[in-house]
Amino acid sequence: MNEAGICRGETLITDHLVKVYRGAGRPALNELTLSIGEGQIFGLLGPNGAGKTTAISVMNTFLKPTSGSVTICGIDAVKYPRHAKKLIGYVPQDIALYPDLSVRENLGFFGRIYGLRGKELEQRIVECAEFVGLEGNLDQRVFTLSGGMKRRANLAAGLIHEPKVLFLDEPTVGIDPQSRNLILERLATLKDKTTMVYTTHYMREAELLCSHVVIMDTGEIIAEGTPEDLLSRDPSSTNLEELFITLTGKQLRD
Amino acid sequence: MLKIWSCVRKELLLLFRDRAGLLVIFLMPVVLVIIVTLVQENVLKSMGETKIQVLFLDRDLSEVGRQMEETVRKSDAVIIVKEIAGKQIDVEWAKLAVAKGNFQCAVVIPEGTTKAFKKKAREAVENSLSASSAKARVRKERPRDEAPRFLIYFDPALSETLRLGLASLFEKVSMDIEMKEKMRVFSEVLPVHLTAAAKKAMGPLWSEETRKMVPSARIEWDNTPIIVVEEKTAQYGAPVLRPNTVQQNVPAWTLFGMFFIVVPLAGSLIRERQTGMLTRLFVMPLSYLAMISGKIVSFVIICMVQFALIMAIGRFVLPIFGAPVLNVGSSPAALVLIAVSAGLAASGYGILLGTVARTYEQASMFGAVSVVICAALGGIMVPVYVMPKVMQSISILSPLSWGLRAFQEVFVRGGTVRSVLPDTLLMLLFFVTTTLIAWFYMSQRGRTRIQ
Repeated sequence: MNEAGICRGETLITDHLVKVYRGAGRPALNELTLSIGEGQIFGLLGPNGAGKTTAISVMNTFLKPTSGSVTICGIDAVKYPRHAKKLIGYVPQDIALYPDLSVRENLGFFGRIYGLRGKELEQRIVECAEFVGLEGNLDQRVFTLSGGMKRRANLAAGLIHEPKVLFLDEPTVGIDPQSRNLILERLATLKDKTTMVYTTHYMREAELLCSHVVIMDTGEIIAEGTPEDLLSRDPSSTNLEELFITLTGKQLRD
Repeated sequence: MLKIWSCVRKELLLLFRDRAGLLVIFLMPVVLVIIVTLVQENVLKSMGETKIQVLFLDRDLSEVGRQMEETVRKSDAVIIVKEIAGKQIDVEWAKLAVAKGNFQCAVVIPEGTTKAFKKKAREAVENSLSASSAKARVRKERPRDEAPRFLIYFDPALSETLRLGLASLFEKVSMDIEMKEKMRVFSEVLPVHLTAAAKKAMGPLWSEETRKMVPSARIEWDNTPIIVVEEKTAQYGAPVLRPNTVQQNVPAWTLFGMFFIVVPLAGSLIRERQTGMLTRLFVMPLSYLAMISGKIVSFVIICMVQFALIMAIGRFVLPIFGAPVLNVGSSPAALVLIAVSAGLAASGYGILLGTVARTYEQASMFGAVSVVICAALGGIMVPVYVMPKVMQSISILSPLSWGLRAFQEVFVRGGTVRSVLPDTLLMLLFFVTTTLIAWFYMSQRGRTRIQ
């Protein structure tokens, strides 16, 4: 990262990441090596249990890898997680907001944790709310919001400090097409200043949004490239979903 | 520091919006302290502070009955009831009334008691004065008349302490009467014996003039006590107050309320874990220490508000209902130290519970039950000194007993910061231990990275 706080070149690099959970027979992540450039929207696809959430959890410093390294904007995130955390935004699968606090209070709390104060914080709260279309709901308590609005508020909380790298773990689960469309549209506008790692089960979403896609299964990468590249490698698949089924099989995953 | 303050602000906001939590934290201890204090106040009154009605059935209608009634009437503890609705009381009716609990006690003085009593007194004195004579020895060998008896019937539900108190009152009264009668007979018989002995010793020298020289004993004895029993309360330092229901219940239920914060505190941790909030927080530049400190500080603030509120109730509300005014001692610094230590101990326990429990239901059930058990052991419901020895030795393990002991030290014994230090240090040690165990458990879970 240079003095202006801009990451140049590869924003996120993982090198032979391995994560083995205590008592597990096989690694949840097996030698995961990725290189994600600045401004990329990096899709992490895979069936249930493929290791997507583990990969995100290791990359965002929540989990310590069994071996391997993670570098974010030049900072070794395994050795110096505190420094790396300041650069990271995280939008979890769950609505990780306090239901009894208003949107403004939730965003204010997260902003203060990132060191924002006073007018700067107020400004960011309003900007983030506008970004996700919740400017009219800032003083509404989260539990009174609709499912789609909660998802958007969840996204806003991950953006409050303008992260360099944003991890999005299935951010559009269980919402209506309108809210999903808004989220995807808005995320696409962020790519100039934010690198994104995105997991989803909606292949169409990944096809539309992601500049680069990795398909994982059993903790390993089984295909990698731009959506167009991947489809060109298998002429029998007309879209990413068909390719995904071809690569991961039709067997049900728990 | 600013991050901790952000967490405190967030926790306080959440707490004030949690109506059920507020009821548990504030309303429950307030209601408990008022109800329990007033109930106990009434029980204590019925156990000694109000006069006890005693049915008094004098079938003797003579000296002993009159003296007995007169002496018992002088006691502050007893009201004598001799007739009901203007009618004399029947012995069987009296026994039934006492058995039913309508009266706590009935005293029956049978007919002929005075006659028998006087005969026994004279016999006793005569025996004493002639103890060495052959005549007396012969008399001693004769079968004796049975001593006259008072009958006292007690309510079976009467407390043992009160029963013993009443029994000893009647024993004392009967001893007084017996002593007076013996002295009266003694003063009557002694000059006769002395005259006879002197006459025998002087033989022909005995005259009417020497008879006048034989001293007569006084019948009226000086009632000034020879030994005075003075009651005082042992104390050190500042003057000691007599413990009462308010002095016992206000600190006791304050501590109970404080420790009940373990339920909302553990609940907040579990909810954060279940909703993914904890994951989000761990990905943010917020250390586990700062996050936990935020919770601890906010819950200690809540404990201090609870403390102030319940103290105010003891001071201003309970007296309205006739209970004594709470006396808070003379060391506010010691009180604050105890309250903060108790708040920290409760917070540490809440953090541990919230870390170890898997669900909110587990935490709320176990938390509430364990606090009630610790309260019972710690002397919150019943003072420790009335517990059996085994329970007393177990009670020292309860953090609530440390807190209560420290409060009593200040409220009743005039304790200072120095004298409450051992108990406050125990509570602080409990806080440190529980928090460290929680931290260790969290780090051993292996899923999160604690920094």
